[in-house]
Amino acid sequence: MKRLAKLKGFTSTLGLIIILAMTTQSAVYAAQLPYDTYNYDYRDDVVYTPAAYVPDGSISGVSLEYNGESIGAFNNPQDMCISTEGLVYLADTGNNRIVVLNQSMTRVEQVITGFDHNGVADTFNQPKGVCVSENNRLYIADSMNKRIVILELTGELVGIVENPTSEVLADDFVFTPMKITVDYADRIYCIAQGMFEGIMVFESSGNFTGFSGTIGVSITLWDKFWRKLATKEERTKQQLFIPTEFTGIDVDDDGFIYASSIDTSGKQAVRRLNPKGQDVIKKGVDANLGGDLWISGFSDYSGASEIIDVVYRDKGIYSILDRKRGRVFTYDHEGNLLYIFGGIGTQAGTFNTPVAIEETGEKLLVLDSFRCEILVFAATEYGTLINDAIALRYDGDEKLAIDKWNTVLKLDENNELANTGIGKAYLTAGDYENAMKYLERGMSRDYYSIAYKRYRNNVLKENLNYIMTGAIVLIGAGIIITKVRKRKNYNEDDSGGGLI
Amino acid sequence: MNKNFSIEKWKYVWYTLSHPVDAYYEIRHRDRGSVPIAILLVICFSLSYSMNRLLASFVVNDTDPRYVNSLTELSAVLVLYGLLCVGNWSITCLMGGEGRLKDIAIAVGYAALPLSMSFVAATIFSQFVAADEEAFYVMILTVGIVWAAAMALIGIMQVHNYTLGKTLITLFLTLIAMILIIFIALLISDLINQVYSFFYSIYIELIFRT
Repeated sequence: MKRLAKLKGFTSTLGLIIILAMTTQSAVYAAQLPYDTYNYDYRDDVVYTPAAYVPDGSISGVSLEYNGESIGAFNNPQDMCISTEGLVYLADTGNNRIVVLNQSMTRVEQVITGFDHNGVADTFNQPKGVCVSENNRLYIADSMNKRIVILELTGELVGIVENPTSEVLADDFVFTPMKITVDYADRIYCIAQGMFEGIMVFESSGNFTGFSGTIGVSITLWDKFWRKLATKEERTKQQLFIPTEFTGIDVDDDGFIYASSIDTSGKQAVRRLNPKGQDVIKKGVDANLGGDLWISGFSDYSGASEIIDVVYRDKGIYSILDRKRGRVFTYDHEGNLLYIFGGIGTQAGTFNTPVAIEETGEKLLVLDSFRCEILVFAATEYGTLINDAIALRYDGDEKLAIDKWNTVLKLDENNELANTGIGKAYLTAGDYENAMKYLERGMSRDYYSIAYKRYRNNVLKENLNYIMTGAIVLIGAGIIITKVRKRKNYNEDDSGGGLI
Repeated sequence: MNKNFSIEKWKYVWYTLSHPVDAYYEIRHRDRGSVPIAILLVICFSLSYSMNRLLASFVVNDTDPRYVNSLTELSAVLVLYGLLCVGNWSITCLMGGEGRLKDIAIAVGYAALPLSMSFVAATIFSQFVAADEEAFYVMILTVGIVWAAAMALIGIMQVHNYTLGKTLITLFLTLIAMILIIFIALLISDLINQVYSFFYSIYIELIFRT
């Protein structure tokens, strides 16, 4: 009887433990992210990964105060920029002002509503783009005033760029700047509305010098065939084959321009333009820089990603922002897709209309023009490890990256990037067997082949004596056997067939 | 030993590989072939094909091994083999072909041997290639496929005593016959299904009424 009671007590505690375990588990599920975090593997299948970035709050204008009073909600904000000191410059387009926040975005440093234009107070009209140059000047794409305004950070006017004239511009061209960025030499790169020839480049003096990075138009054979069939009238009514416009722009430390565009085929949505305006971006194995590889179906949710902005981060890493499914895709300098996060929705941490992306410190900021908020995303351990490992590889310290990649493997066992990273490190260290092992796991054909070739050469070199001896013995034996056979079985028909 | 698996018959398979024209003539007129061996060779081919998909080095192999099911592939290959033989037989019967179903089955089955050989050889070879040496791997496979195609063509030509042109025409018609057979099979299975569901619904009705 006593025993039975003991058993009962035991089972009840066991039950309690199980229930407790189940509740904690459901708590974990409740804390799940509002979006999918995944990546594409070597076979282009979706594999779910740990989250690289998780929501870390949001900044709306309502909660911010400047000079003791609330600055009010943002209205249709379109762009933001991080200065070298880490201040966040926000183009509050609908309110015709530029809001400057401190690095942690808890305090308003400054609200720029206008400037002193040769003694006359001047204001902005729908400023859609903002950029702070390395030389600490503020560039504002004042879209409805058809001009670019250049200010000192303190607010004094430096210059105004308007009415660019050139032979290549049509006479009735109206300059409506949308997005803007400035390189180390104060050259201004500007995406203008309706300007399909590329990014407009201005000298530091404000003279228009030409276009950069024209996106080519590709006409398929099928389109050509239909145009051949169509009559002239039909042709005039057909859609024109015009290149797509750029949507977002950023500049890296070397003065290369990262520019995003909406690619309906989903192949390449971001370009890296050298000073001559040529695209020099590196593509990965699957040659895809267009966000999601495929979303099939006919709903609004399907189709290629629509990349609306790009941010160059550090060490060759850049992120692009998809407005269709609200995802952020991050690539390294070799064009490998590192991680994906984000989504459209109404929960905290999801977007409605994402328009701009920036990085400050370890955090990514995404501006939502409909929610009128800056959404903040903080790197997780997984994300930080990948960023660090890629940075080490970018700097050439592949050996140091091994530890980072090994930790990544602990979090995500089948991570191809991590396996490839370790494999490459072994490859440079000359340990080809280990390199092959990891590169095969990372499904890196090219690097595996390099490792395998060297390994094969080593094996051949070490065993050359045996191989050569064996070959000579085999050849000799072959010759002798055929001779003996010929002599012995001269008349025998061993084919077992033939016409009898 | 069984007549169908005698040493001579096995040896004859090898002879067929190198002398297809003579060998297929002998198979037709002197019964030197064996249907069970032919079927065995087709099964061998199916297995080597699955093996290639599963085990070929990842440098040359795009297949996801998780999606390879050798039994499904075996049944698919056997069904195709049967369809090809029956389709060809039904066409050549009408077009003055001399071959019996047995001969056609042997002609096609023996032709699968170079395929299996090249798949096995290529799979082994693939373990020793780097990315830019894929061409050799592909070459091994191509040699096997071309050889097999030539053997099957010569085989069908010889057993029916056709010219090359007529063989090609009958092969095209065979394809149509195969499609027809599949269509009719699907139709029948659908009809049977409907009849079955009719009686099943009567049964259900009776069960619930009482």
